Amino acid sequence: MKYSDAAELDRLKAMSLKIEEAEKAVMELEELGKGIPVIEKNVRSILSLTNVLKFGISDLVT
Amino acid sequence: MESQQRDYWNPWLETLDPARLKQIELKNFRKYVAYAMEHSGLYRQKLAGINPEDIKTMEDVRKLPLTDKEDLRLAQLGEKRSIYGDVLGVDPSEVSDFHQTSGTTGRPVYVPESYESWQWRVEVWSHILWMAGFRETDRVFVPFGYNVYVAFWEGHYAAEKVGCEVVPGGALDTKGRISKMIETRSTALMNTPTYGLHMAEVAGDMGIDPGAIGIRKMLCAGEPLADATRRLLERTWEAEVYDHIGGTEPCAWAAMCKDRNGMHIMEPFFLVEVLDVNDLSTEVGPGELGTVVVTPLGRRSFPLVRFNTKDLARKPMESGCSCGRTSVKIARIEGRTDHLLKIRGVLFTPVAVEECLRDEFPAVAEFEIAVRRTGIMDEVALKVETCEDMGSGACAELRGRIFERLKHRTNLTFGIEVVRPGELPRYQLKASRFKDLREEQK
Repeated sequence: MKYSDAAELDRLKAMSLKIEEAEKAVMELEELGKGIPVIEKNVRSILSLTNVLKFGISDLVT
Repeated sequence: MESQQRDYWNPWLETLDPARLKQIELKNFRKYVAYAMEHSGLYRQKLAGINPEDIKTMEDVRKLPLTDKEDLRLAQLGEKRSIYGDVLGVDPSEVSDFHQTSGTTGRPVYVPESYESWQWRVEVWSHILWMAGFRETDRVFVPFGYNVYVAFWEGHYAAEKVGCEVVPGGALDTKGRISKMIETRSTALMNTPTYGLHMAEVAGDMGIDPGAIGIRKMLCAGEPLADATRRLLERTWEAEVYDHIGGTEPCAWAAMCKDRNGMHIMEPFFLVEVLDVNDLSTEVGPGELGTVVVTPLGRRSFPLVRFNTKDLARKPMESGCSCGRTSVKIARIEGRTDHLLKIRGVLFTPVAVEECLRDEFPAVAEFEIAVRRTGIMDEVALKVETCEDMGSGACAELRGRIFERLKHRTNLTFGIEVVRPGELPRYQLKASRFKDLREEQK
């Protein structure tokens, strides 16, 4: 499972895209639930974890 | 679960080409410096005139000023909008966790974490625990009330994240904790090395063999772990004992893999420099001792650029590791620059005493070192506490042997006093076995 393998690089790129999509979807959720604690606070938690994934995965391909 | 069998927490990152790792670190360093300058009053002032986009190489990084603990203290003094002063990097409403340094060297520094920054720290610790073999099948006992000190909180949350079950062992005395470990069939332990030794001692007093309790992995935190002490803990608990190095301000920045030979820098979470102790501006070579400067690259609530940890580390002679991880390793931590003393012309760190006593003198349970000035001479006094009561002849013989071995290993003569079992203090968190009393004597 080496970063340098072409197949693994494609896999990383696909994962990076999914992380971006997940982030976008969560931000849309935040917009829909604006001002509602259950949405705002859980969105904040999810975005903190997508940030961690961007650091560990997306950074490798951007 | 299949993932539990994997050796790496993040297989791509942990086997990445070192040059690519450095490239990512430099990219994140530029971003981080820009963020710090925009959001932290301290760095707006400290880095004025710097253009982050001009930072392309490690030589460029080294043109930036260092940050000392004193800078952080000063930035938190006086009446400020927030208790965190000018180091806060997010809106105060975003801060979710308060921690502080132990205050060993002065006024404690308050360290704010936003939920995002906290998750970043927990991710670093997840790497550390995974490297040490912590898995879903482990029940991890943490024998402390964690209070405002960060390490065991990080360990607790990361253990949860990697899938372990955590047993918080605060609000019990040591005997209660040993009983609880046995009752819960705990398999892993997170503690300070000092408390690991103390628990083993108390277990012995209870008629329990620590090795039979069932702890098979131990991660040490909170204080430096001499290699001889690590081996002693391994023998006593019949467990694999792992170390890491870090601090409240920068987070844990290096840790041991299964090899237990040196520590991997947690790249690319941190940009770590090991600099010449005297000029703090050139990187030391393989096998050389240097001062560690750390930039954590993902924590926005507490921006910290080129933090001088004052840890003294030796770079390894060889690169690479049999575990397959490609990150740079630190051969060992040899103390702190503020504990590096020149006594009668000889460089001395207290770690040298600990290495000698733990390695060669199993009859010694505890020790304490004090440096005093007598006239114009510095003198080192060492108290050693024995595991069992000894007659005066045996005490004199032990004193003589320790004197000779320490002279051989450090080139210094020690004034040695042997004290009875239980006379020296025991510590749960940061042990304080070294006292430099020369300033107090002035």
